[in-house]
Amino acid sequence: MGSAIEIRNATKDYGRGRGVFDLSLTVAPGEVVGFLGANGAGKSVTMRMLMGFVRPQSGSARIFGRDCFSQRAEIQKSVGYLPGELAFPGDMTGCSFLRFAASMAAVEGDGFRLGCKRADELAEFFELDPSVPLRSMSKGTRQKVGIVAAFMTKPRLLLLDEPTSGLDLLMQRRFVELVQAEKHRGATIMLSSHLLGEVEGTCDRAVFIRQGRLVCTASAGELTLDGVMGQLYGPQALQRHWGDGRERSAVGARSFEGEEVRS
Amino acid sequence: MSLPLFRRSLRSLAVAVAAIAAVMAVYIGMVVYLYDPEVNESLQLMQEAMPELFAAFGMANPSATLCDFLLNYLYGFMFTGLFALMGAYMAQRLAVGPTKDGSLAWLLASPCSRPRLAVTLIAAQVAVVLLTVLLLWASEAAFCEALFPGELDQVALARANLGLAALGLFAASLCFASGFAFQRPSVALWAGAGACILFLLMGLAGTVGEGLEWVASLSPFSLYDAYGLAAGEADAAAGSVGLLGASTALFAAGAAAFCRRDFSL
Repeated sequence: MGSAIEIRNATKDYGRGRGVFDLSLTVAPGEVVGFLGANGAGKSVTMRMLMGFVRPQSGSARIFGRDCFSQRAEIQKSVGYLPGELAFPGDMTGCSFLRFAASMAAVEGDGFRLGCKRADELAEFFELDPSVPLRSMSKGTRQKVGIVAAFMTKPRLLLLDEPTSGLDLLMQRRFVELVQAEKHRGATIMLSSHLLGEVEGTCDRAVFIRQGRLVCTASAGELTLDGVMGQLYGPQALQRHWGDGRERSAVGARSFEGEEVRS
Repeated sequence: MSLPLFRRSLRSLAVAVAAIAAVMAVYIGMVVYLYDPEVNESLQLMQEAMPELFAAFGMANPSATLCDFLLNYLYGFMFTGLFALMGAYMAQRLAVGPTKDGSLAWLLASPCSRPRLAVTLIAAQVAVVLLTVLLLWASEAAFCEALFPGELDQVALARANLGLAALGLFAASLCFASGFAFQRPSVALWAGAGACILFLLMGLAGTVGEGLEWVASLSPFSLYDAYGLAAGEADAAAGSVGLLGASTALFAAGAAAFCRRDFSL
């Protein structure tokens, strides 16, 4: 059986070290993979590449054997996506948005009805009242709407960018339950995060990305806090402490000013 | 075309279209009410006394009939400005806004191809422009028939309104193309909207300043000749066909930009 996700030597360079560089990654069908990285490490860029929002400058990104950019529409029939930076149309309620998302996602005759039914079940599970206008919802409530939209079509593949951002502890636990149920159903899940607990509770293995490059892979059982911190931020970042931080920050400020003058 | 997106796009523009139609209906009612052959003569005297002022608002032509009166007071500045404004508003609601705030991600995450999404957004704009022209036309016809039964040359006004639709589509397509052609949202919005404002001002400058007619003729908006269309002139009809052709090309360019570009959503 082919890979669910296959990224080969993909590079998307936004300049100043931002983006992803020569990234290669494979996810097997039915696997749940945690994609860990610090802020700005390239997690969201990778997700956007997989979603066909951006095209790699070199290399390739494929889902179920199809090119993520040129065959995006075909791929999206079996993908659920939760963006890292959630944004909704400001003039809709949660209900109207979910109905709209279900109607856009419906590729079969009964798809819309089934999507709405599943959305109702998920909303109840997450104690979400979707009748409220999206613009007046809290960050956590909007996150729930995003989760419902991503899961409501029972997709074969779920791409989740920092999915528990803004959720309280109980909802985080319910989210972990949902991911485990989806895994049991046979869905492939790629979950980007910088939270160890989220990955530990849901994933078969974790893939670490730092400064746009893949640094290592570890099974969920091998994850330790220090090990994860080391892979996320690098050993140098972990050696900084508050005690000598003030002196260091003064040096940092001088060097920053120096860079500004030079530019 | 995606019907859910088409309905959603129309709904997101509906409030603005309804408000514009309501305000314009009141304005059209007032203009029609002002029509009086005797008052018209005094207005023509004022126009002769202050030609620059009248020309500045696109009211440069004498108006012997009710149809001419409407063309003079509505089609010079008011309707042209209205459709320039609408083009910018639709681009903001359907293209630039969703790109800027990231809500476009939900459309791109659906199993609709980019060409299909682009065609749907274009169809929604075409529908809104045509609907607005129809509402304006209906208001004109209703007020004219109520106040001056049988006096309006319906066929002449219909021809002018068909040309107005071509002008509205041109403004919409220009703003749509710019909305997806540029990465920075502020540039994407203002390149199209700014061009529409510039074309409008060029048209007005040509009617105000002596020897500046050539400036007006450089504006694509000058292809819309309401008086010529009302009179059934072939050149005016060709101008409107030219506007339609340019609209098609600009919508196609906007769709191509949408299909090819990266969206960091």
